[in-house]
Amino acid sequence: MLFLFIAIPLAVASILPLLGKISKRVLPDLLGNLTLVFLLGYTLWIGKELSQAGGIVQRLEWLGEPLAIVLVLDGFSHLMLFTVSSVALCVTLFSIDYMKHYGEKVPYYALFLMMIAGMNGLLLSPDIFGIFLFLELSAIASYGLVAYGLGHDELEASFKYLMLSAVASGFVLLAIVLLFGLTGSLALGDIAMGLRALPPSPLVWVCVAFFVMGFGLKAAIVPFHAWLPDAHPSAPASISAMLSGLLIKVSGIYALTRLLFNVFGVTPTLSTVLLYLGTLSMVVGAFLALGQNDIKRMLAYSSISQIGYILLGLGAGNPLGLLGGLFHIMNHAMAKALLFLDSGSIERATGTRDLQKMGGLASRMPLTAATSVVGSLSIAGVPPLNGFWSKLLIILGLIEAKHYGFALIAILASVLTLWYYLVIQRKAFFGKLNEIWRGVVEAPFWMSASTVILALGCIGIGIFFSPMLKTWISPAVEILYGGTVHALNFLGL
Amino acid sequence: MGQSMYIFLLVGFVGFAILAIFLRDLLKAAISLAFSSIFLAMIFFHMKAYYVGVFEISVVAGLITVLFIATIGLTKGQGDVKERKIPLVIFPLFFIAFLFLDVVIMNALKTQMAVLSGKPEVPHFPQVLWGFRTLDLVGQIGVIFAGVFAVLALFRKGGTHE
Amino acid sequence: MNSFWFLNMGVVALVVFLSIYGLLTMKNLIKLFIAVEVLSKGLTLAWIVTGYAKNHLMTAQSVAITFIVVEVCVVATALALIVNIYRHTKSLDIGKLTKLRG
Repeated sequence: MLFLFIAIPLAVASILPLLGKISKRVLPDLLGNLTLVFLLGYTLWIGKELSQAGGIVQRLEWLGEPLAIVLVLDGFSHLMLFTVSSVALCVTLFSIDYMKHYGEKVPYYALFLMMIAGMNGLLLSPDIFGIFLFLELSAIASYGLVAYGLGHDELEASFKYLMLSAVASGFVLLAIVLLFGLTGSLALGDIAMGLRALPPSPLVWVCVAFFVMGFGLKAAIVPFHAWLPDAHPSAPASISAMLSGLLIKVSGIYALTRLLFNVFGVTPTLSTVLLYLGTLSMVVGAFLALGQNDIKRMLAYSSISQIGYILLGLGAGNPLGLLGGLFHIMNHAMAKALLFLDSGSIERATGTRDLQKMGGLASRMPLTAATSVVGSLSIAGVPPLNGFWSKLLIILGLIEAKHYGFALIAILASVLTLWYYLVIQRKAFFGKLNEIWRGVVEAPFWMSASTVILALGCIGIGIFFSPMLKTWISPAVEILYGGTVHALNFLGL
Repeated sequence: MGQSMYIFLLVGFVGFAILAIFLRDLLKAAISLAFSSIFLAMIFFHMKAYYVGVFEISVVAGLITVLFIATIGLTKGQGDVKERKIPLVIFPLFFIAFLFLDVVIMNALKTQMAVLSGKPEVPHFPQVLWGFRTLDLVGQIGVIFAGVFAVLALFRKGGTHE
Repeated sequence: MNSFWFLNMGVVALVVFLSIYGLLTMKNLIKLFIAVEVLSKGLTLAWIVTGYAKNHLMTAQSVAITFIVVEVCVVATALALIVNIYRHTKSLDIGKLTKLRG
């Protein structure tokens, strides 16, 4: 029942406002977390069915009459589903303590579950307009969540994010209109077949350009990244984790990859475009992260840089590069969410995000420091953590495809990444304890527990990377590498 | 309706859109937006797209205009925002330039487009919306709830965190 | 695709240009949002015209109606944001919202 992935978060979100006054303190947290536990469990359980069948298509029925809801699950969407549910569960655990100071919890969990429902719907939809619709759903939920604190910064960031995101959605819709005009259908399988049957025309290139612009803005690819460094720092830490770790990947990278690989079919020109965009993001993000004093802003620029890595892996075009790129999606989601949650703990404990004011916090907040180090090393690509393996695969993929220049830049950017992350760690946690922070205590239970879980995940995936690659990533790579052939899956054949 | 009537509708649509963006007074701009919607709905009626025409009038020209007017009412006072005059002055130049480019590109593309015709369609509208695009309905419900929750979240009491 | 479709798509391109011009030059928050609304109108026209040209009007109308519903929710959220911003800064000038730099 793939429909449960969308229906359960939607249903739980809608009953949340109906809770009575007494249960408002405990029930939102409980329901939110239980929903995510269910989603994660169901993702794992359905993986067994998926590996036997090679692809699941669900056609819903209502009292015996076929209802026209068709949902499709394949290796690539399953990987994303797993990433979404596991990281989101840790974020909701974190929110149990973190959201205590934000007033009412019911709108927060309701919007949060809506965002999850939107992301799941995007992942499972076989229809290009369905992708757009669920994209907008999670986007609307995220506008509300970014502004949740109702402070000046949050409102300003949310407004700018909304404006840019609305224009991006407009371009995506324009591209969909053109595709509908060219092929006469909205189903991904039909569009793929149609595009192969048509002679190449400039309108197809216009479509691709619009999709890259639209989804590129959602994924914060340079030069469409301007909203991210403002939106992510101002939002509550749990939402920054969700946005940076999941939303930009699902609504940006997944949608773009699915369309380019399975519907349009990747050509060498497209690969080159991806490589250049990836390099641009990687380098610009890394340089802009260097001078930051606000810890969350630096993490936001780092996200831009890491998305560049993912694009490089995808642009390499060979199975190694794809393996690395997709693995990096999962690894970066976990590590970046971990780092944002840690920054939330720091902000809650010290009241500031300014790195100049911090110092020596490790002695007062050992768990936060330890998990933060794990997260930083993971993103910087230090063995044996998970980030190392995905970056290595990306670089190997680039070398195998004879893109030596890009591989070199990737290695250099990696060194830069390691350097600025170590600087952050030293400034915030190590060194002399700043006297102001003498009274600071470790973060509350759930906040620490969720970060510890994520850190253990990073370490575990790093050590057990081989079985992870075999079971989760390889099926996804096959789907993408197979190209437009796999679009036939979406016809339900 | 003939060709000239259709051109009149298009001109009305674009004209009121231009007014909506460039008028100084916010209230007049919102009302121009509503008129633009009405012209758009008439364009839809001309193409025999009755359902979306009615929906456009009731929702866009109706509901959205009401929302705009409510917001304008809630944000009055403390003086107006002074818009720069220059964009308004150089706009006609850009407009003509773009119009020219537009016509050229469209003419060039006209000769090159081969298209597929796709599957023949069921002509009964409710059957299409309910029967063929049911997932869209789920999405719509979700989007409406998300909008409601977002507005609730933004207007809740006691949530400020500075 | 006949010239009717191209005529209308030309108008859509014009409307998109208008909207982006408005977004780049206007300073009032509500005006900025009116520009986004104009963009949505252009997109709705594009949908229906394409459906009409391909004789798929019903699908096109269905999609257009769903898109209008999405548009309403975005408008509601954005206007709620604008009201909140006004309460904070007592002004609708986007020049005042410069605390954060991209």
